[in-house]
Amino acid sequence: MDTDIKMKKLIQFILKNRLLALAGSLLVLGAGYSSYKQLPIDAFPDVSPNLVQVFTTTEGLAPEEVEKYVTYPIEVAMNGLPNIEKIRSLSNFGLSVVNIYFEDETDIYFARQMVNERIQQAREKIPNGFGEPVMGPISTGMGLILFYYLDDETGKYSLEELRTIQDWLVKFHLQTVPGVTEVLGIGGYEKQYHVIVDPFALLRFDITIQDIIEKIKTNNLNVGAQFIEKNSEEFIVRSVGLASEIEDVKNIILKSESGIPIFLNQVADVEIGGAIRRGIQTHNGMREVVSGMVVKLFGSNSSTVIGQVETKMEEINGMLPDGIKIIPYYEQKTLVEACVKTVSDALLQGIILVMIILFLFMGSFRPSIVVAASIPFSVLFAMIGMNLFGISANLMSLGGLAIAIGMMVDGSIVIIENIDRVLKEKSNDESKIQLISKAFLEVIQPVTFAIIIIIIVFLPLFTLQGVEGKTFRPLAYTIAIAMFGSLIYAMILSPVLSSFILKDSTNNGEKKDLWILRIMNRIYEPVITYFVENRKMAVWLAGSLIVVGMAIFPKLGSEFTPKLNEGTIVVRLSMAPSISLNESKNTTLIVERRLIKIPGITGVVTRIGRGEIGAHTDPVNNAEIYVLLKPKDEWGNNSQADMEMLIREELENVPGVLVNITQPIAMSVDELLEGIRAELAVKLFGDDLEILKEKADEIADVIRKIPGADDVQVDQITGTPQLLITINRNAIARYGINISDVQEVIRASVGGETAGQIFEGIRRFDILVRLAPNFRNTSDAIANILIQSPDGVDVPLSELAHIEELVGPRQITRENNQRFITVQCNVTGRDIGSFVEEGQGAIDNSIILPAGYLVKWGGQFRLQQEANKRLAVVIPITLIVIFLLLFYNFNSLKNSLLILLNIPLALVGGVVGLWLTGQNLSVPASVGFIALFGIALGNGMVLLTYMNQLVKDGVSIKTASITGALLRLRPVLLTALTTALGLLPLLYASGTGSEVQRPLATVVVGGLITSTILTLLVIPALYKWFSDKKN
Amino acid sequence: MKKTTLIPIFLTAILTFFFTRQYFMQGEEMHAEKHEEGEHESIMIFSQELLNEFGIVVETVSGGVLEQTIELPGEIQIDPDRLAHITPRFVGVVKEVFKQMGESVKKGDRLAIIESNESLTTYELHSSMDGVIIDMHFTKGETAQRPDHFFAVADLSEVWVNLSVYQKFISQISLGQSVSISVNSAIAQTGNISYVSPTLDKHTRTATARIVLKNSDGKFRPGQFITGNVVINQGEYSVLIPKTALETVNGKTVVFVKNQNGFEPVTVKIGKENHNSVEIISGLEAGQKYVSKGGFVLKAQMAKGSFGGGHGH
Repeated sequence: MDTDIKMKKLIQFILKNRLLALAGSLLVLGAGYSSYKQLPIDAFPDVSPNLVQVFTTTEGLAPEEVEKYVTYPIEVAMNGLPNIEKIRSLSNFGLSVVNIYFEDETDIYFARQMVNERIQQAREKIPNGFGEPVMGPISTGMGLILFYYLDDETGKYSLEELRTIQDWLVKFHLQTVPGVTEVLGIGGYEKQYHVIVDPFALLRFDITIQDIIEKIKTNNLNVGAQFIEKNSEEFIVRSVGLASEIEDVKNIILKSESGIPIFLNQVADVEIGGAIRRGIQTHNGMREVVSGMVVKLFGSNSSTVIGQVETKMEEINGMLPDGIKIIPYYEQKTLVEACVKTVSDALLQGIILVMIILFLFMGSFRPSIVVAASIPFSVLFAMIGMNLFGISANLMSLGGLAIAIGMMVDGSIVIIENIDRVLKEKSNDESKIQLISKAFLEVIQPVTFAIIIIIIVFLPLFTLQGVEGKTFRPLAYTIAIAMFGSLIYAMILSPVLSSFILKDSTNNGEKKDLWILRIMNRIYEPVITYFVENRKMAVWLAGSLIVVGMAIFPKLGSEFTPKLNEGTIVVRLSMAPSISLNESKNTTLIVERRLIKIPGITGVVTRIGRGEIGAHTDPVNNAEIYVLLKPKDEWGNNSQADMEMLIREELENVPGVLVNITQPIAMSVDELLEGIRAELAVKLFGDDLEILKEKADEIADVIRKIPGADDVQVDQITGTPQLLITINRNAIARYGINISDVQEVIRASVGGETAGQIFEGIRRFDILVRLAPNFRNTSDAIANILIQSPDGVDVPLSELAHIEELVGPRQITRENNQRFITVQCNVTGRDIGSFVEEGQGAIDNSIILPAGYLVKWGGQFRLQQEANKRLAVVIPITLIVIFLLLFYNFNSLKNSLLILLNIPLALVGGVVGLWLTGQNLSVPASVGFIALFGIALGNGMVLLTYMNQLVKDGVSIKTASITGALLRLRPVLLTALTTALGLLPLLYASGTGSEVQRPLATVVVGGLITSTILTLLVIPALYKWFSDKKN
Repeated sequence: MKKTTLIPIFLTAILTFFFTRQYFMQGEEMHAEKHEEGEHESIMIFSQELLNEFGIVVETVSGGVLEQTIELPGEIQIDPDRLAHITPRFVGVVKEVFKQMGESVKKGDRLAIIESNESLTTYELHSSMDGVIIDMHFTKGETAQRPDHFFAVADLSEVWVNLSVYQKFISQISLGQSVSISVNSAIAQTGNISYVSPTLDKHTRTATARIVLKNSDGKFRPGQFITGNVVINQGEYSVLIPKTALETVNGKTVVFVKNQNGFEPVTVKIGKENHNSVEIISGLEAGQKYVSKGGFVLKAQMAKGSFGGGHGH
């Protein structure tokens, strides 16, 4: 055959240039090692969507206004960007978040640049003073690498002082660490200079609050006035008038009447206070603390960044005032280390196990070494590939290597085993090199095809999208690259190294087989003879195995992806949407006090609401409690799940609080994906929030009645109390007042208005003008706020406006420029397709939607359907490609079919394996099944090729079946065993992240067992039927 | 050959079965946990420890006195009956001035001596009442004539408080109502409304309500701004509770009542109210146990099922 000649030329060329090949391989090893050193190390693949967030904080605006004035212009500006997937927005009290989702392949910097251009347009459309849109940090859901709080041992620092230390010292220095994109502060009070105005004094001196703001602004300035020349020298002229301390502000002159000045401190108290806040941080149920979050730059190396941040923190600790220390309370490092440890342990143990097997079966040291050397070569080769393709070292990518450990040696096992055998049977007239090349040529084709098939079967994984895709593609990549490496090793290095290392046993050529092989041959021989003679039994065996598999299959439970234990517990509290920050804090402190009573918990740190924007957008009714645990070995017999149980029990009866236990990364990723966690979502799009709510409730009622509906829940879009001040146009007309005059007074008096800044060196602090609390903190007090008409008459607000308390929207969510409300539900006991159909019919029949309202069905079922569709195309294609390869290899339809018979039998083993270990069908399990395809086929090919060879040499089919099987017992068992044992550590690993790979390993090991049985018993037995030659 | 062509079909069937089934089944158990919430009980049971932990205060319904007030800005003014302007009768040169600004004078006290230009004789100016000199324009040597030069003597032992009554309050203000006057938020004195102007000021569109105050110690100074709290209604009610007990649930005002089963929200109808207290017309009876503080926790517990959805988690 054509290829045979090519192969011959190849092997001759390789063996002629042995040293070149060696040098080349050393180069690969070196490059691999340096790639390994450069690889970014992460805990696991980042599954965050590709998005750019635009945040706008708007001082004190209600959700409706935020949507109208801020969110909408931003959304409109973003429309039509290239590669955009969707725009989703959230308008909350005082905060607008617009998430612009891009297609996964889009470069994040390109996307940000586009968004930034459009933000400029949006800015023009947002009214002055309603906030400046800014982009979120260049980071992802896994970017929050370290949280810390400031511990004040002396107890003499106020929360303002601590926050100032955080913002101007700690944050300042941490932000200089390369790879840190942002440090977000939360907790305590941001220092401000408060001008607390006494309304009676205003009345007395006939001044308005606007006058005060104006005066402060105009009395706090530095200017430059170019230069003057004096004796040939230039003197720069500058005039300084910046307020630098509280006295400067106090002594601002508001006006002077008949020469008597009126100072600011005659109408207002000026003092240092805290800014209005939407989030706080508490510790151990005792007190508030000030803390910060370090956000990692997109694409930077987590482990190095964390390391550098830690060094920097040591440095900063030295600079902090005595008694104040930075205490980290969450570090992703722990997780990264744990994950890397889990897989590297598995890798190492796998390598050791594979080596042991090799020594046992190969019987001698030299061939084992040649085979084993395939592992470092393939692994380092994979590292080069990872570096090239930008895949970080993480649980999944390294996990791929751990899975492939056993498979990497398969090719070289077959080759070396054959070379070893041939060398031992050496007849004197052939040189070592000739023998090696002959042995090599005998097996290289099936080996090559087997490896290529393994690579090809992973193709469907590359088509996985979304979270599963991002999670499992790195695994598929590394396996494919490593297998490619092992192919290179098998084709080039294994003959070269054999020629150097293997001995041609001249004298003791009659050396006996290894004891272990002898025993096995002794058992195997009668069995295989029996099956070859009674083919029907073989059919029965295969058939019954398949029946068993199909019987067990429906009993398996299913889940999407097993939960990955991050090793850190976060308790998320949701409180009533109308709750005040203070009440929220009280409740949280109570919860914290309860938590620290649980043994095993050393402390708790909680974030309530949000701090500086960039990472979190929570309103004050959400609290996230980070539970600090003793080291795992001090928990007693408790697992993480047990700890969660204890926490749940302890918090069970906390009134008014929904407790949700989650983990840091899972939580932030979910928040970014922000899709509905339920599998089915009915989204109702429309304009009027009231109608949306009403119709959504109707839809929920309809859906609840459909059999199979579960957990039906309508989004809470209302529930925030408002004090609505509606200005009476007739009333203001009588006094000649403008609406904006009234509104400005309301804003400044009640909410406060910034009237410039005070510079203390480079630190700058806002000056906030506001009425004294008891003149603005009840609706009665607000009603009595006086507004001055142009002719100097003071009119109370209640004369000019109608003030009422009502319940308004909690948040307004929009997708692709339209408001929507979600009704989510899960479906149990029936398939989703029919459920959706029935639901759509029911909604069409019983719900009349006003014009402009639209129902859309979505949720995870869509993703699943898409995945199904894709796999339904890709898997058959893969099978066809495999079949073609087989056909090309054997040049026989029947032979190829015989090999394909391996697949169902391998699947049975995987199913039984899952069932026996009590695991569910999940995405990793299905990845395992896909891997099985490839592995299962390889063994059969080697065996079949040999039997064909024997038949070609004139041996009868029956004898060929039996001798072929006996001779190939060693490589077949060896490859199966190495693959299975290479996976064994993953089966028993209990470290962080092991839960994701266990189903995969289970499926492969289980499948290998059944497919090996098939290869060894059924294939030889059925060979006669599938052979092309007729005797 | 027939047999062999069936095999690939068989294989593909099995594989498709394996994979599609798996993906369809995935959803089924995904969210099984999130079940318990949803149905809300309207009766809630709270142990005493829990009440203490969350600062929920339970009290017994009782009656009491409720005062309704409205707050009005006002100004201290001199009673025009207690103000005297003493002017020279004849144009002349001021020979002597005896009193200075702010000095107290008695009726008949000599204030100044003037030499008349016409008669060239001197005459004296006397105070016409007891009081304080609040203004004067008299300098030795100058020529004093009528409107420009004078002594203003005011008797400040009683002053007026003029409250500006905005249009919407006018109907609630009447003679005799008690008013507490406060200066800089501190109550200084109380008095009664003795006069309400029948017309509104053309400029400010307010009516004036007047209270006459004793001011023997002189603490009220004319021109001073004050706040008047006018008691517009005062009564004794059989069910009077603090406003902190009121909670709004689904647009209705409720009070959480404790009965033998537990806590239960009761819709109430509100009568008169002021800053702190509120009269309950129906829904609550004297003697019942109710939550006077911390009702929010109970409200939140009731609504627990509904705020799980939405953003985050």
